[in-house]
Amino acid sequence: MKQRYRVCVLGGGPAGLAAAVSAANEGAQVLIIEREAKLGGILKQCIHDGFGLIRFGQRLTGPEYAEREIKEMLGSKVDYITSSFVTNVKRISDGGFELEIQSANGMMKVQSDTLVIACGCREKTSRQVFIHGDRPAGIYSAGTAQYFVNIMGYMPTKRCVILGSGDIGMIMARRLTLEGAEVEGVYEIKDTPAGLARNVAQCLDDFDIPLHLSTTVTRVIGDKRVEAIEVAKVDKNFCPIENTKRIIPCDSLILSVGLLPENEIAQKLDIEIDFATKGAYVDQCFMTNVPGVFSCGNALHVNDLADYVSESGELAGKYAANFRPSQRDIVKIEYDSKDFLYVVPQYYDVTQGGELSLYFRSKTDCKDRKVYLDFDDDTVLDKKYKRLLPSEMEAVKVKPKKKVTSATLRMGDFK
Amino acid sequence: MTKEMTCIVCPNGCLMRIEQEGDKIEVFDAICKRGIEFAKNELTNPTRSITTTVATKFEDYPLLSVKTSGEIPKDKIFEAMKKINSTIVKKRVKVDDVVIKNLFGTDVVATSDMTLDVKTQRLID
Amino acid sequence: MPKKVEKLHSTLMKKGIPGIECTQWHNSIKLEGELGNWQDIITAGKIATKFGYKGVVNEIKLRGFKEPEIKAPKIKDNAIDNRRPDVVIIGGGVIGCSIAREMSKYDLDILVLEKESDVAMHASSRNDGMIHPGIASHTNTLRGKMNVKGNAMYTKLCQELDIPFERYGNFILFDDKKIAYGAGALFAYRAKHYGIEMEYCNREKLVELEPNLTDKAVAGYSFPSAGVLSPYKLTVALAENAVENGVEFSLDTIVTSMHKLHGEIVSVQTNRGKIYPKAVINAAGTFSDCVADMAEDKFFTIHPRKGEIVILDKKKGPDVTRSMGLVSPEMLYSTSKGGGVMRTIDNNVLVGPDAYEQPLREDFSTHRENIQAVLNKHLKLIKTFEPSDAITYFAGIRACTYEEEFVIERSEYVKNLIHAAGIQSPGLASAPAIAEEICKITVNALSECMQVIPNSKFNPNRRRVPHLDKLSFDEKQKVIKENPDYGVIVCRCEEISRGEIIDAVNSALPATSVDAIKRRVRPGMGRCQGGFCAPLVTNIICEQTGLTPEQITKCGGDSNLLFEKTPKGGASK
Repeated sequence: MKQRYRVCVLGGGPAGLAAAVSAANEGAQVLIIEREAKLGGILKQCIHDGFGLIRFGQRLTGPEYAEREIKEMLGSKVDYITSSFVTNVKRISDGGFELEIQSANGMMKVQSDTLVIACGCREKTSRQVFIHGDRPAGIYSAGTAQYFVNIMGYMPTKRCVILGSGDIGMIMARRLTLEGAEVEGVYEIKDTPAGLARNVAQCLDDFDIPLHLSTTVTRVIGDKRVEAIEVAKVDKNFCPIENTKRIIPCDSLILSVGLLPENEIAQKLDIEIDFATKGAYVDQCFMTNVPGVFSCGNALHVNDLADYVSESGELAGKYAANFRPSQRDIVKIEYDSKDFLYVVPQYYDVTQGGELSLYFRSKTDCKDRKVYLDFDDDTVLDKKYKRLLPSEMEAVKVKPKKKVTSATLRMGDFK
Repeated sequence: MTKEMTCIVCPNGCLMRIEQEGDKIEVFDAICKRGIEFAKNELTNPTRSITTTVATKFEDYPLLSVKTSGEIPKDKIFEAMKKINSTIVKKRVKVDDVVIKNLFGTDVVATSDMTLDVKTQRLID
Repeated sequence: MPKKVEKLHSTLMKKGIPGIECTQWHNSIKLEGELGNWQDIITAGKIATKFGYKGVVNEIKLRGFKEPEIKAPKIKDNAIDNRRPDVVIIGGGVIGCSIAREMSKYDLDILVLEKESDVAMHASSRNDGMIHPGIASHTNTLRGKMNVKGNAMYTKLCQELDIPFERYGNFILFDDKKIAYGAGALFAYRAKHYGIEMEYCNREKLVELEPNLTDKAVAGYSFPSAGVLSPYKLTVALAENAVENGVEFSLDTIVTSMHKLHGEIVSVQTNRGKIYPKAVINAAGTFSDCVADMAEDKFFTIHPRKGEIVILDKKKGPDVTRSMGLVSPEMLYSTSKGGGVMRTIDNNVLVGPDAYEQPLREDFSTHRENIQAVLNKHLKLIKTFEPSDAITYFAGIRACTYEEEFVIERSEYVKNLIHAAGIQSPGLASAPAIAEEICKITVNALSECMQVIPNSKFNPNRRRVPHLDKLSFDEKQKVIKENPDYGVIVCRCEEISRGEIIDAVNSALPATSVDAIKRRVRPGMGRCQGGFCAPLVTNIICEQTGLTPEQITKCGGDSNLLFEKTPKGGASK
């Protein structure tokens, strides 16, 4: 193994693989560090299809998508190690970074000019959504249930309630039904589904699984194993309404209540985290506030599609390979938080210039809207949207015509 | 008759409006042709693809992910699952290799490459 | 009716608690009747303690409430049938395990019975891990005496058991300087009585020591002898060291009855057979009065006082160095300390607990309102704490007597029964001292019928296994070279290796459930709460024990994680 790399990529999922390949294509010496035994990230267990429509123009399953990316990585000059865990990372005097890595081979230290954080995200837990009552066996996140069914080949439930209508939750509703379990219903605290409309149609409606909106789980009942779940309708402030409580006998509660970018390593480097995305603040080169550290994929913000994850990885890898320390001239991309949930990247570095791949989510479910991006007086984006949803991320590419001093993303009506 | 339908062809998930009078079906609000096609199909002969796993005889690779290469009639999903679940894969297959031939008019194919041998690490000198 | 009893009866009437029958039983007072709310029952019991009896036996029923049956293991066999141990210890909490280890210094046949599938399943894993300085106890109480003595024993004990312990001190804080001065007199009096080190801290001093304190705290007292440890790691370590020194544990074993003859327990019936011990130690926690009752020696009553606690992400651990709580004047003299915030030994932050009376002895459910109240009450003490830092919360139940005092004594009426009962806070801090005392009493009792000699092979040091998070880079390198399993991280949040999990599975008291592993080495304790590692831990347990995944439980009994295999290859119907 080399003593020093040009780019070290933390994470060997779709973001990390794409970052590594694109960095290697720029001529950089690259190392991927993957903590799990196998490359491919969470896609390994996502055996459903719908991946790759943008990137490959084909409807692929998770394993197919992952294997394509792995094969491409194997075909380029990239070093990788698996079952390897970064236990520490620090800045060294020449501006690079030193990583401490733990694996069955022992402890090692590796230096790198730049880092690409591609650690993905994790699921919110029952505790983070304040589920109360007993805590018996049978409370699983949808991803854990997915691992049990698709990787281990075991049924974690025979009759379950699913809380949260995120995509993984709905996909697991279908998956468990196909394997013979009964999904009593999917419960969503908000008044709109959290996941894609097509998943409501093909995962729930197709199998007559009811979706209960504005309803949440208020209590878990069960000594050793879940015996029942108490649900209740909620009011406008998401407070359970007492007289709507009802008890549903079941053996499991499966949660699909949201994902959180994993940024524990980033925090060791004092990387600033955007409260809106829970990921790092980055510029159009996907570089964080710490020069030489890049962030991409679901570690940056939770994407709807693996395709976007790969895209951001590819860009981050390319920029990391070409990174030269320089003075930054940062313009914040302003937006009204009443209109937008978040915008990524949050900054435009004028000294770097170039194209800006912008991802955003609207704050509310709205119809017939226009989205504009102004660089100073110059409106470089003027796009109509028939419908914008918080659950559906939008991606646009724009390029400023001249040196800019301000950037604003805004929304307006059309018709 | 007017009804609404969510297109499941791509993640856009267009909410389409469909006007049906006898054999005449008109589809509105789909951004692409595939939506129109899907809607017409859905009203006459709804079909779905399945993704699932299948058992193999290999201890180091006990479960293989698979999909139907085309679509099967929607009302045959559980019958198809039964057939897939009673199958055991006996040779190592690659992506798109057929695992079950002609299941309700389509094949079940592998979505993972059992022969892909990814080493635990690779360090190029 | 004796005069004292009559007086009690009329006092209860005056306090609006009518219809209670009061009778003297041995040296204790027994209350019977029925009341419509639990708080009145508690109040009646408390009033009865003021009349100079040894104990209060409060048998008042709550109208319309049927106490649920004790949660018993399903298993029934003869695993320990006909055993004739010298000592039986009922209860595998920190008290039972401390006593077991202490008694293993003698050449005795010792058997610990625990109804759960692991040790430390109730209060011993459901507390804040604080080793109190002893300042909260009234003078001349067992609680105070045992606390101060036990506290001092922990440095050596934790070294022997190889568990982390940090004597990081605590603050009792006030939002009013005058009240702080007033409390100072009380603290000084107790500190002198017990020999507790203390120091007054003005606002500047407080902020110097805890820079993230908000201006809620204007003054306080520092007690440097306070410490922190992991209460379940301690309990497990005590049990393991006891096993290494010859003690036997029978888990999933519940005592259902006792047979007495001539004022002595002859046999103890369990779900796993009948045993004939020479001495019986009652360390049954919230059920210690039930165990006393089986031997017809119930002279005290446990009223379960519940508390709920919130744990914050490790990210916030560095923001506080010690434990601290804001105290109001009325709390100074009360029986519980009102909770606070503290850094745990694993660098999380713990917030709470609260304290409320309720009739259930093993209901560990949590409630939205209570958790919210705990956060509202304490988070404001530290500038950087946010409700969104909460990663989990849990509940515990304190085994309180009406006297609010420990029961550490040989029974007055049953010759071979020794009580270590009513052990509530500061039970953890007191455990080593209680164990010493109980051991002394038991050895004396046993000496009446046998010769008790020291165990010449006693080894106070528990088997050492590596704790990767405490090792330097080079030390890690060394242990991984010797055993590569220590290099493979299984729990990404807590950075726990495969090797450490294997050690727990194969320890003196084998951990074969996911929670048992979690209590010993922490996988699943972190921010993902086991989402990523629970399946991996399951696989490691299977691989080490030969069990199959559907046999693995979360916490013993019927808490299996998985049902059958998916119907692949015709695996099921």
